[in-house]
Amino acid sequence: MKLLRLEFYKCRRRKIVLVCAAVLAVELIWMGVFLTRQDAENLQQGWMLLLYNLTIVDAIVLPLSVATLASRNCELEHKGNTWKLLETMVPAGRLYKAKLCWGALVLAMLLLIRAGLFLVVGVYNQFPGPIPWRQMGLFTFVSWAVSMMVYALQQGLSLWFVNQAAALVCGILGSFLGILSMLFPAWLKRCEPWGYYGLLSFVGMDWEPATGATRFYWLWPQAADAALLVVWAALFLAAGRTLFVKKEV
Amino acid sequence: MNIIETHDLCKQYGNAMRVSHLDLNVPEGSIYGFLGPNGAGKSTTLKMILGLVRPTAGRIQVLGNKMDSRNRLAVLRQVGSLIESPSYYGHLTGEENLRIIQTLRGLPEKNIREVLQIVRLDGQHGKKVAHYSLGMKQRLGLAAALLGYPKLLILDEPTNGLDPAGIQEMRELIRDLPGRFGMTVVMSSHLLSEIDQMADHVAIIREGELVFQDSLQALHGRSSHHLALRTTNNAVVRCLLSEKSLDSQEEDGFLILPILSDEITAKITYFLAKNCLGVLRLEERQKSLEEIFLELTGKAVSL
Repeated sequence: MKLLRLEFYKCRRRKIVLVCAAVLAVELIWMGVFLTRQDAENLQQGWMLLLYNLTIVDAIVLPLSVATLASRNCELEHKGNTWKLLETMVPAGRLYKAKLCWGALVLAMLLLIRAGLFLVVGVYNQFPGPIPWRQMGLFTFVSWAVSMMVYALQQGLSLWFVNQAAALVCGILGSFLGILSMLFPAWLKRCEPWGYYGLLSFVGMDWEPATGATRFYWLWPQAADAALLVVWAALFLAAGRTLFVKKEV
Repeated sequence: MNIIETHDLCKQYGNAMRVSHLDLNVPEGSIYGFLGPNGAGKSTTLKMILGLVRPTAGRIQVLGNKMDSRNRLAVLRQVGSLIESPSYYGHLTGEENLRIIQTLRGLPEKNIREVLQIVRLDGQHGKKVAHYSLGMKQRLGLAAALLGYPKLLILDEPTNGLDPAGIQEMRELIRDLPGRFGMTVVMSSHLLSEIDQMADHVAIIREGELVFQDSLQALHGRSSHHLALRTTNNAVVRCLLSEKSLDSQEEDGFLILPILSDEITAKITYFLAKNCLGVLRLEERQKSLEEIFLELTGKAVSL
């Protein structure tokens, strides 16, 4: 707890709130523009439309956002040569864990606020039907889980490389592959970490080419895909932690 | 009692042996100067003592405890360190930086104010460390090392990059520590003059190997006095002196003789003049610390 509290203390004046606000602003503007272009028929399926498109926005926005947050948190140690001081007081493994927990909490807060904002958007736009609390909650949890898997990868890179360009380039690549993977078959989506935003979607879509009509429907992510997500996360955690702990400062 | 002991300490990177079979003995209460040219293995050795770098072979004992991965952090609670450049969070103030260490070490909050006073940074409220001068950052690094009033302080080139005033200030601070707080200070440097002014014990390392370890007094003891004599015919003089049981060596056009009393020196000059051998120069010489350092390390000394 002490180490986690210190992670927040160290991130004072690191403009973490601003980064999170920027992520929310981009998602809100994106979805706002998208929703204003929808006709009344599409808005009849408002909640599903919202969650379907939020998945797409997540796949584009979150990989780079997660990379930025991990980088902001790890860079301050590289910049100030603080590893050689910290590691005379705390085991490297505990430092790694504290940074990971910091990322988990920040992402949880960000995604909870995001869920609240889009609930307000739905209610404000008077989407028909009851609020899909369950799907909304699970969608937020899955966004967080996939983001944490990506965060484990990004934290590993940000801790290993002093120059944060490598980690940020990986984030940009992630955003690109994240959206591109929406066009991939499911087996290919499973092979790249950023594809899980789309793979674990809660809304499916049928598009009728003849009429141009779009129909959304609720779906449940497959348990095997959730298990694969855990495997990816475990892989990134184990590799990132081992490399960090073994690194001599 | 020795506060640090290393036995056969080695560190190998690839095929290069950076530290080789090092046996250091740091007496308690001393200011121990760890001297060597750049790249001699000083920082690597200090990092091994702190457990930041894993030794390839050998044993380390700090404060009477054998250092291993299990007790390392418990032992280091009584050790303060400043390795290479100071560690700091530039976006935080000096006080905030120290608060992080105070929290991690579980120390009383009053220590922050005290150490800021000791290093004379108590007037810098609200100023971010990124805006500090290098000297101030170095002093903050020293404050961080002092925060728990450790028994042992390990400082790696603490005056590196400082201007003359900063160097002087840092020297005064470090020199006071054993007397004021009963600390043992291990300080590395590639500057002989610095170690000469501050340390009472010295170890000299060359290419990872220990070439000297003793008191500073013993190092000075090596700077033996001798006489240097230059005559109109050194070869003949050398033979004549040898007949009188006075051995000499020829070096750069001078005959090097042991230090002699005034009376014997006068007799020699009279004897040479009687043999029609002119004395061109007669000098009393002393090997400087720089020459000793050069002899021991085989490298030019930084001054």
